Amino acid sequence: MSSQGSPDYATLARVLREPSQLDRLSPEEVSRLLDAANVARLLGWAVTQCRSAQVAKGAPAWLQDRLRAADAQAAGYERSIRWEIDRLARAFYGTDQRWILLKGAGYVAAGLSPGVGRRVADIDILVPRSDLTRVEGLLREHGWDFPALDPYDERYYREWMHELPPMVHGERKTIADVHHAILPGTSRLHPASGRLFERAVKAGEVFVLCPSHMVLHAAAHLFHDGEIAGAIRDLVDIDQLLRGFARDDSFWQDLLREARTLDLTRPAYYAVSYARRWFGTPVPDDVVRELASWGPPALVDRLMDGLVRRSIASSAGRGSSFAVFALYVRSHWLRMPPLRLAIHLARKTVRPR
Amino acid sequence: MSERGSLAHLATTGVQVSIGPFLVHVRSELPLVHTYLETLYADFPLSSAESGHFDIHLLAARGLRRWIRPQANLIVNGERPFLPLPADLAGALFEWTINYCVGRDAHQFVAMHAAVVERNGQALVISGESGAGKSTLCAALVLAGWRLLSDEFALLDPDTGMLSALPRPVSLKNTSIEIIKNRGRDLIFGPEGIDIEDARFVHMKPPASSVRRAAETAAPSVVIFPRWRSGTRTVLAPVRKAQVLLRLADQSFNYNYLGVRGFEAIAGLARRVEGYELEYSDLDDVLPRIAGLCDARARPA
Repeated sequence: MSSQGSPDYATLARVLREPSQLDRLSPEEVSRLLDAANVARLLGWAVTQCRSAQVAKGAPAWLQDRLRAADAQAAGYERSIRWEIDRLARAFYGTDQRWILLKGAGYVAAGLSPGVGRRVADIDILVPRSDLTRVEGLLREHGWDFPALDPYDERYYREWMHELPPMVHGERKTIADVHHAILPGTSRLHPASGRLFERAVKAGEVFVLCPSHMVLHAAAHLFHDGEIAGAIRDLVDIDQLLRGFARDDSFWQDLLREARTLDLTRPAYYAVSYARRWFGTPVPDDVVRELASWGPPALVDRLMDGLVRRSIASSAGRGSSFAVFALYVRSHWLRMPPLRLAIHLARKTVRPR
Repeated sequence: MSERGSLAHLATTGVQVSIGPFLVHVRSELPLVHTYLETLYADFPLSSAESGHFDIHLLAARGLRRWIRPQANLIVNGERPFLPLPADLAGALFEWTINYCVGRDAHQFVAMHAAVVERNGQALVISGESGAGKSTLCAALVLAGWRLLSDEFALLDPDTGMLSALPRPVSLKNTSIEIIKNRGRDLIFGPEGIDIEDARFVHMKPPASSVRRAAETAAPSVVIFPRWRSGTRTVLAPVRKAQVLLRLADQSFNYNYLGVRGFEAIAGLARRVEGYELEYSDLDDVLPRIAGLCDARARPA
């Protein structure tokens, strides 16, 4: 019998696909699931699932404590992001600066289900490229600054990638990542940022991407983190976003149109098909057919599928490290031209961060 | 003794130690951890259950590190929160790990950095930065017969307003080691070591009576903010309730996480207690004064 031990990603993956499995877990398994969910930044999701499955009912006292603590923790994560969003809004207050909250912080601001109990390490914002210097100045005035970087890293961020180096707030030590595009400048895909601003929607005092763009952005980042915890979370986000947005009849056609406009058809294919395969996300038949024509050659598709399945399902055991590495390479393949990628990987191998 | 016997599983499937409101599952093949638990945790309930609030694995570093300046690694609920430490600190590492776990995860309580002792149902909360003499005062009160709730954490239940006991070995540093050793007889200590801040430290075994009464909560009655200053006479100055609230919130690990609930819990405590700032140098002078404050609270007005 295995002891409590490490976070249990296999169980996490199983419960993600089939939340009803939660009823059948032992208290120890639920405990390890909470650990895995926390590492994967899915604690809010896990807490919600445990609540609706009434896991606490009849559970031993120690597990009830853990569930109560996890609940408070998830609520605390979300509260601290709301505060961070509030501080960013304050930094831009009274200026005509356009800015959009991306990813996790955007879900929280828009009150979407992936935002519930969300743990966000870095807050990502999108600004017009021509405003980068101005935004840098505004954030500096309000307490954010760049940590010391070596010249290589500095150049990596500013030239090859699509963002300023991360800015850290002096007091709160929180991180703001300022982007001017949703994919790196070196990427082979170039979605135009102008359209993202045109169609941005208001959420309270701030702006977030419109529903289709939100999904496409998550799709573009799927497997881009090069770490498996991030990949699991991205897929969960996409599933939840699709289920929520599909309540609007015009959503699917809008998604297809915007995928073409933004040149993100391949990522859209990956996102929707993996969400379907993994979580059974309901997708209309005609949309499935249209997406299928955007897929990669069958061989690449099978290879990807194998990598993803092995990485997610295995709990970081034997055999999975190659798959994780392959995903890491692949994520950078999408971000950089081959030669630059080779140089980058060589540097990161010789001088690990 | 059957309880000691169950430490036999420490290196394999691990041991579940009941420490106040927490069940701690600990595994370790390090002999020093075994000795440490055998000595300082002799009075704690043990079982072979493989579950608990916290899952702690203390293991020896592999390879050359096993022979040259051996190191101890730590895994908490599957994560490695610290860099490896010298293996001779393994016993203390267990204590620091529990501090880390409680500070990070115990959100069913408002967890504050403070020592808590109790006498006649009156709980005294001692809040202060490291080096303010909090642990010395706490240890001296315990030697004078007060019940130890904790020398590190005030665990406030936001629903009941009561403090939970987390009696564990008391951590003493630098000169307070000798001060306390000179005040007590038959005291049991863990190995002395040097921590990462270059301070000499040792852990003192908690009184068996305090460990036995770990399930008894206590009502907060007096809060003191001590400062040890060489040669000073004892000065006790009242602190306003709003100040008590702000200072305790500042010493709370999870005040931010708990939001309104955390605020209301600490505000409720501040309303019920008397707060004092204390400057002292002479333990023999200060102990009766503190006892007097709590006794006055115990008597009906």
